[in-house]
Order: sequence, then structure tokens, then C-alpha cells
Amino acid sequence: MNTLVKVEHLSKEYRLGVIGNGSLWKDLQSWSAKIRGKQDPWAPIDGESRYGRRDRFWALKDVNFEVKQGERLGIIGRNGAGKSTLLKILSQITAPTEGTVKMRGHVTSLLEVGTGFHPEFTGRENIYLNGAILGMSRTNIDRNFDDIVAFSEIEPEFIDTPVKRYSSGMYVRLAFAVAAFLSSEILIADEVLAVGDIKFQEKCIGKMKDVSENEGRTVLFVSHNVGAVAQLCQTGILLEHGQIKEYGDVGMVLQAYAASLKG
Amino acid sequence: MRKESTDEENWDVVITAKRKWLGLNIRELQQYKDLAKLMIRREFVSVYKQTILGPLWFVFQPLMSTFLYMFVFGNIAQVGTDGIPQALFYFSGTMLWTFFATTLQKCSDTFVNNAGLFGKIYFPRFIMPIAYVANAFFTLLIQFAVLMVFYFYYIARGVTFDVSWWLLLTPVYIAQLGLLGIGFGLMISAWTTKYHDLRNLVSFGLSLLMYATPVVYPISSIPARWKVLFQINPVAPVIEMFRYSLFGMGSCDLKMWGYSLISSLVVFLIGLVTFNRNEQTFVDVI
Repeated sequence: MNTLVKVEHLSKEYRLGVIGNGSLWKDLQSWSAKIRGKQDPWAPIDGESRYGRRDRFWALKDVNFEVKQGERLGIIGRNGAGKSTLLKILSQITAPTEGTVKMRGHVTSLLEVGTGFHPEFTGRENIYLNGAILGMSRTNIDRNFDDIVAFSEIEPEFIDTPVKRYSSGMYVRLAFAVAAFLSSEILIADEVLAVGDIKFQEKCIGKMKDVSENEGRTVLFVSHNVGAVAQLCQTGILLEHGQIKEYGDVGMVLQAYAASLKG
Repeated sequence: MRKESTDEENWDVVITAKRKWLGLNIRELQQYKDLAKLMIRREFVSVYKQTILGPLWFVFQPLMSTFLYMFVFGNIAQVGTDGIPQALFYFSGTMLWTFFATTLQKCSDTFVNNAGLFGKIYFPRFIMPIAYVANAFFTLLIQFAVLMVFYFYYIARGVTFDVSWWLLLTPVYIAQLGLLGIGFGLMISAWTTKYHDLRNLVSFGLSLLMYATPVVYPISSIPARWKVLFQINPVAPVIEMFRYSLFGMGSCDLKMWGYSLISSLVVFLIGLVTFNRNEQTFVDVI
């Protein structure tokens, strides 16, 4: 099997506290002091420099893994373990501090349902807009349009109403339906199933499993829902404090996760 | 390790910490051209969704400004117009100025206004500035048509205009204003992500800059000692040249126009670099 995603020594560092000194004027003073070789007037007095290690935080530290074609990888971990940061880097939303990610094929990320939906636009218009944002071509959307509407379970008479009048459930169902018909090789999904009723959630997981098994799609799935991960994924990664604690078969990883929750 | 090497090299996407300088990926932009079209439409249509006047909003504002300027500057202050009929003079000035100012303002808000979208999904960020300038351009086209209605109305009334060959350069004038607007806008966009107060300064600065641009008066009415202000303002010669080309009246200063042409290219390139340096990590800063 082909390796589609290869993550090597990936690290991401965030600076804690306020960005800069809080105002342009203070930043300019710091900057001019640096140019003149003087001491930064706004550096903290207790010795540690403003850029010292104390106010730095590694959200991810030396993460390595590979994903093969058709593999469904679940990423779990407690709040703040670095799951979302990892997905943001994989989705090219923010750049890593160190390390590389290499990917083959077209990548689509669903970090939120309905990204780019415009409230004034109708359901129909938003299907095209959202599809295009997710990288679908117009002809592709045209071809799948009826299936998308059917999958979303939205009555056809609502499709030409602005989405700001939709109920939140309808909104979410429509948004996921667009994503379900993407034809990208790699799908990255973050907790998108936390919305919608249980029946619709199961339908979404079933659809993801379906496309992965039948069309060889690769899925990277982040969720707190242990049941959903167990149902969908074959392999798993347990993240803790930005590092990989456990990596391998999904059953084993979920057990380690359960153990870490107790301990 | 060795045997995999051929396989290793053909990755489609490689993400590293390296920041790019001029990475305007044309091939990637082309892949997203459906999105660009939809974004342009979204920008254009959302101006008049659920409004009474609808698309009339595109001409309503410059018309009202023109009436106001005719009243305040033309009748009360008695500022000359180089012999160009007042309505044409003010309308052409406002129209071009609005094109530049809207582009600049929208582009400078690219990151702040799209933080939600950019924070959740990847697509070439440069699509948004393209959508903004295209939207301003379509608005300009509609206003241009209105200007032509006035123009032929005056011709029908017996006014003669000495149209110059320079009129053929109109696309260049418009491109120049577009490049200046995008360039300055993108430069500012990098700073507004960090210092949100700059946004207030932009709208205020633009209204000040309008009075340092020959929108409501011709350059010829400026005292010699203030002329230098117009020489450093790259927008000024474009508006003057356009009026000169269409009406055959006013000033035609090729040296100033040439300077403006070069500075619009330089400003655009600097803006592009600033934007590219910023787009990869702005999510962490905003």
C-alpha cells in the first residue's frame, strides 16, 4: 500500500501571553532599543527575557507517523493534548515550527461544518460555495447536487431559502452532506460529528467508512467520542502533552486512553 | 531507504516551517478558479441582498456624492473644474477614487474579516484580494456606463470634448489604481492582524487622502508650493490623466504619470511579499 501522509519530527511552538507588548508604541520602543543595541525597556525585570523559554509552550513536540492509502486513523487525547494543532498543520492553516509533513493527493479538511456558508445565500447557493471552498469543481457539484440534497434530508422546498432561516440541525446536515460527496484522496475531520442527532451522526460515520472501504479514501479523524473512533478507525494515535503516547491498533490505543483518563 | 527514493520525491503537498517570499502559485490559483468566481459573486451579490434599491446601490452613492460636491465645491466654494462640466468632473473623480479606496480598504481587512474562514480551511488566501478587486472593478464598470450616459447627454447638448488618444490607455489607468489598492491594502493587512487599531486609521487616512487627490478639484487649482504633495501621491496623476483623455481638458503630466505607473508596480510587489510572509502564521497572531 502507498503511503499518503508522512509526518516527520513535527513540532509547533506557541508564545504565551500577549502578543508583542500590547501596543504598537511599546513595540516600536523595544524595536528601536534593539537596533541601538540598548536593553529592551519593556523586558520583564526578573531576569528571564521576553523571548525566554518560560513563556514558550510546545503544543506539539516531535510527532512522527505515517498513514497509508485507505487507512482510517483516529486521533484521540484529552483537551489540550495537541489534536487540533496537529489537524491545523495538516490542513495548511498554520505552519509548523519544526519538522515536515508530506502528502500525496488532494486533501480536504473539515475542521468545522459549514465553513464559508453565507447566511444571506440560499441552500442551493451555499452548496456551490461550500463545495468550491472544499475544492470541488462546479461540474462535480452539478453531478452530485441531488444526492447532496437527499443525503442532507432537507425538504426540497427549503433549498431556495436563505440558510439564515434554517434550523441549526438543517444547517449542519446540509453542510456535512456537501462534505460527504467530496472526491479527495485524504479527508481530515475534526469533531464535526458532535452536532446533529444520533441518527444523522451514525449516517455520517457510515458514509465515511463506506467511501474509505469502497474507494480507498484515507481518513484522519479526531474525536472525543470513543465509540465513533472505535467504529470508524483501524489505527489510532493517543496524544498527550503534544507527544505521541500510543500509536497502533485502535483497540489498544483506546484502552490506553481509558487508562489515562482514570489515572 | 534507497529503493524508496523515487517514490519519496513525488509528494503533492509538502508543509515545512519555511516561509516563502513570492510564492504566488498560479497553478494552484487556477485549480481554485470556481471558488474565485463564486467569491466574486458572493461579494457582489451580498451588497444588495434584501435591499429595496437592489443593484441601484452601485450607482446611488457616487451620484449622491456628485450632487453634494456640485453643491459644496462647485456652487458655494466656487472651485473650478478646468472647464469640464461639473457633473462629469465630480462623477469621474469619485468613481475612480472609490475603486481605489474600496479595494484598499477591503484588502487591508482580508485577514481580520476572514479569520473564521481562514482558521478552518485551506485555500489560496490570495483569492480573497482577487475577489475584492474584481468586485470593485464590476462596480466601476457599472458606474462607467452611467458616466457615459452623462457624457453623451452633454455632447447632445452641444458641448464638444477634445478626446485624446490617451483614452486607449484607460485599462492601464484602471489596472494601476487596482494594483495600488491591492498593494497598499495587503501591506496594511499584515499589520492589522497584529494591531487591530490600524483599521480605524485606514478609513480615516483614506478620507484624508481623498483631499490630497484631485477628486473634487483639478491639479491646476493647486498653489505651486503644495504641488509636491501631489507628486508623491501616485493616485493623483491617474485621475488627472483619465480626465484629460476623456474630456481633453485639464493637465497631462507624463512624467508624473510614469512615476505613478512604476510606484504602483513596486507597491503591488511589496504588498504581495508582505501578504505571503504573513499568511502562513497569521492564525496564531490574530
